[in-house]
Amino acid sequence: MKSGVVETPKMVQGGRLGSQVFPLLPFFAFTGYFLIWPVLAVTLRSLRGNDGEWTLSNYTPLLHGSYLHAFITSIKLSLVTSIIGSLLGALFAYVVVRYAKGRFGAVLDSISAVFANSGGVPLAFMFIAAFGTEGLVTRVLKTLGWDIYAGHFTIFSFTGVVMVYSFFQIPLMFLVFKPAIAGLRKEWMEASTNLGATQVTYWRRVAIPMLMPSFIGAFFLLFAGGFSAYATARALTVGTVPLVPIIIGTLVDGNVVSDQQNLGDALAVGMIIVAGIAMVGYVWAQKRAAKWRQS
Amino acid sequence: MAAIMKISPFKWILIGASAFLSILIFIFPLFAAATYSFRGEAGKGRSLANYRWLLEQEGFYPNLFTSLKLAVLAGILSLILMVPTMVFLNLKAQRFKPLIDFLCILPLIIPVVSLAIGAQVAMPEFVQNSEYELVFFFVIIALPYTYRAIDTSLQTVQLKTLVEASRSLGASWLATILRVIVPAIRSGILGALFLSFALGIGEYTITSLLHWETFPTWTVVAAQQNILGAIAISVFSFIGAIALLTAVSLLSRRGTKQTSITSEGEGVLL
Amino acid sequence: MRKQFIIGVVAAALAAASLVATSSVSTAAGTDFSKCQNLKACGGMDALVKAAQKEGKLNVITLPRDWANYGEAMDLFSKAFGIKITDDNPDGSSAYEIQTVKTAPASKVPDAVDVGITYGLDNTNLFTPYKVANWADITSDYKDPAGRWYGDYAGVMALSYDTSIPKAPKAFSDLKDPAYKNMLAIGGDPSGAQEALMSVFAATVASGGTADSVQPGIDWFKSLKTSGNFVTALANGQNFLAGAYKVSFSWSFNGPGAVTTAAKAGKTVKYIIPTDAVIKGTPYVMAIPFNAPHPAAARLWTEFLYSQNNGKTSMTVGSTKGMTGSKIFSSIMGGQNIWILGGALPITFDAMVAKKTNVTAPEGYGIPKGVKVITPTVAQQDAAKTLLKAQWPAIAGN
Repeated sequence: MKSGVVETPKMVQGGRLGSQVFPLLPFFAFTGYFLIWPVLAVTLRSLRGNDGEWTLSNYTPLLHGSYLHAFITSIKLSLVTSIIGSLLGALFAYVVVRYAKGRFGAVLDSISAVFANSGGVPLAFMFIAAFGTEGLVTRVLKTLGWDIYAGHFTIFSFTGVVMVYSFFQIPLMFLVFKPAIAGLRKEWMEASTNLGATQVTYWRRVAIPMLMPSFIGAFFLLFAGGFSAYATARALTVGTVPLVPIIIGTLVDGNVVSDQQNLGDALAVGMIIVAGIAMVGYVWAQKRAAKWRQS
Repeated sequence: MAAIMKISPFKWILIGASAFLSILIFIFPLFAAATYSFRGEAGKGRSLANYRWLLEQEGFYPNLFTSLKLAVLAGILSLILMVPTMVFLNLKAQRFKPLIDFLCILPLIIPVVSLAIGAQVAMPEFVQNSEYELVFFFVIIALPYTYRAIDTSLQTVQLKTLVEASRSLGASWLATILRVIVPAIRSGILGALFLSFALGIGEYTITSLLHWETFPTWTVVAAQQNILGAIAISVFSFIGAIALLTAVSLLSRRGTKQTSITSEGEGVLL
Repeated sequence: MRKQFIIGVVAAALAAASLVATSSVSTAAGTDFSKCQNLKACGGMDALVKAAQKEGKLNVITLPRDWANYGEAMDLFSKAFGIKITDDNPDGSSAYEIQTVKTAPASKVPDAVDVGITYGLDNTNLFTPYKVANWADITSDYKDPAGRWYGDYAGVMALSYDTSIPKAPKAFSDLKDPAYKNMLAIGGDPSGAQEALMSVFAATVASGGTADSVQPGIDWFKSLKTSGNFVTALANGQNFLAGAYKVSFSWSFNGPGAVTTAAKAGKTVKYIIPTDAVIKGTPYVMAIPFNAPHPAAARLWTEFLYSQNNGKTSMTVGSTKGMTGSKIFSSIMGGQNIWILGGALPITFDAMVAKKTNVTAPEGYGIPKGVKVITPTVAQQDAAKTLLKAQWPAIAGN
């Protein structure tokens, strides 16, 4: 017979630290060895100068000039693409959960998983083949009388990169957020209607708050992904849209500058710090949203 | 009745808009690339020559097999690592959630190049001598996705209630996880599995920086002097991966029955 | 009884044979191929070839087949000497090569590297000294006095274009013409990619400037971006096929391979060295890591690449069974000429011209007569990179 003690959240968090950590050890061990240790190696290297001395000098360039500009552009690009990706991805997830039959949903899941992992030169080529100056769609529109390249539009620009990023941001959102929408129970809608609420009210007071934590989590994932992606942007803009990961690639894995790896490492650590700051906002937003939830 | 009739135009607007945007963003680019892949000899005419060329290359099947093998292992290891961890995290160790969440986002933030270089410096020789080291790194790189997918699913079930009910009925922890929780978060698990697998099949950067040859790195070399062949490879990889995942997904649907307690997506809102 | 006798005889014979074998091995083992510093110290060409063939393998790294005709070099070497070549990450960078030397497991360490000059200069402690037979023909500017690294080939900035365009360019300054709208691209970010960096130098000189400041070049690109002639598409095969650009800057030694590759995809490409600026890059440099797993093969490969011979190609080499090492070596085309055929300028080019041992460069790759050849120094390149880091994104208004 159970002891009759109900595990409330307060009691859970008051439990012994040891018993909480122990089952998490495999995870910590795994990530500690394969993730933290390499990251630590990079961080330590970023704190060393060219002659091996300890120094913060690799970090000073980050605060101004072209590196600061790159951080700002990277953040801008991630924000824009993750907003678009999360809104459209959520929309698609809703449409599919609501209206699609089982088998079709399975196909869409597979497609999303593959699209979410696409990028680089192949992805850039696909969009150039469709929307470039001699792209399929461009040519069709031209015969219909609309020359999209007559004005300022070009796929080889910040705007173009945003378009292309949608190809992997939207499916990622779709795949990761769909379970949340699927988890909205029919019974809640019925209950809320029975209590006299309109559909709008249901959405506003019940569904959206329920979905918020997952939405914010998925949004953050898209932001992080957009932040570190670079091969696609590079293929479309050859550096005219400055992004931090591109610069890191040049310094750490390039053909021109041989002795600035430590600066590249500092930039990588800089990216982690930016993500850490964004993380604070994310945790705060999650906590607020979670107030609506019952455990 | 009136309420239901009001829904219809709304429904078609939503579906129409979604379909239109999907075609614009996804179908057109893929289709445009595919038209190049069907070009014949010296770019003239239409043929399957580029796909035949791909399949005829020595190294196609061995490298494809290597990638499939590593990707499957990565998928399985991801689940073994993450499902128990996430269940426990959400059940009893919520104070660690922000930390683990951040750890799981880290692989996405830190550029793969930096991670690979750190790995080369940090890993001992015996690890670096086996291609299976890639499985571990694939799992790491997949962490952001597997964490999110499983977490989102876990948020939708009454985890504590399920566990309490199952345990009080006498089930062990293993049975609880396998027979109660896993079916409840099936969609998150499948999402995590698919994402890890798709990532493992297509991963290029860490593989090449650690000097291994898998399908993606082999294709880049094989198609060096064959532009149409390279395009055919990308299109083939897309379609192939989609077909494979769909087959897995459809096959896994056959054997499961959805009970009303743990069902999701069957009878949903509105 | 008989059986034991026979076994005894066989055992004795085997023992005798192994003694002979060991003694002949120990004679050859007198040369430590991981330490000998020139052909003579390594026992001469026959001994070197024999040792290399015994090793049977060669690790090279980041050598694309159509880069300076390396594909032909690898094929010829493999066929002539029967040594299997493994090419690690053909598209990789110089940084990747150095990183591999430092951190790869023993069997995967490259036997020879071919890196940008700054990478050679910064990592001499990784390399073992070796001076090829015609060491004297290498310009002293581009070789380490101790023999740890040595320049191998350089390229000249060329223009490559799709022959289907209405107006064929002859000089860099032609590209300002409105006829080239949406046509010009470069192969990377100039602040990070060597080829792209040299494009900016080319634009600078074509605009009347000097290699001391690439500001005129940056301004040139900016005005072409404003007019719409310059497209920021990455210049690669796929984007070219999709029509994203029609004209691009390129190393001359990427030409022959690119023309063949483009033809396979149905496009006709022509390479020209423009008449208003001849920018010759600093040469790439070669070196042998001191921990090369196949030291004899490494040295043979290096000798091969510096050989100025005009001989058989991979298509015509036939069987080399039974030929002595030096015979094989003297019958095949040497790397220096293979590079010329690839559109590159090998490091011993001037000496070859004097000795008349050079083959003719393919049509279109000859340096225009009477134009000054400018090689930006490392210091000038550094200054250019600083300017570009600050100004490149701004040319697109970002």
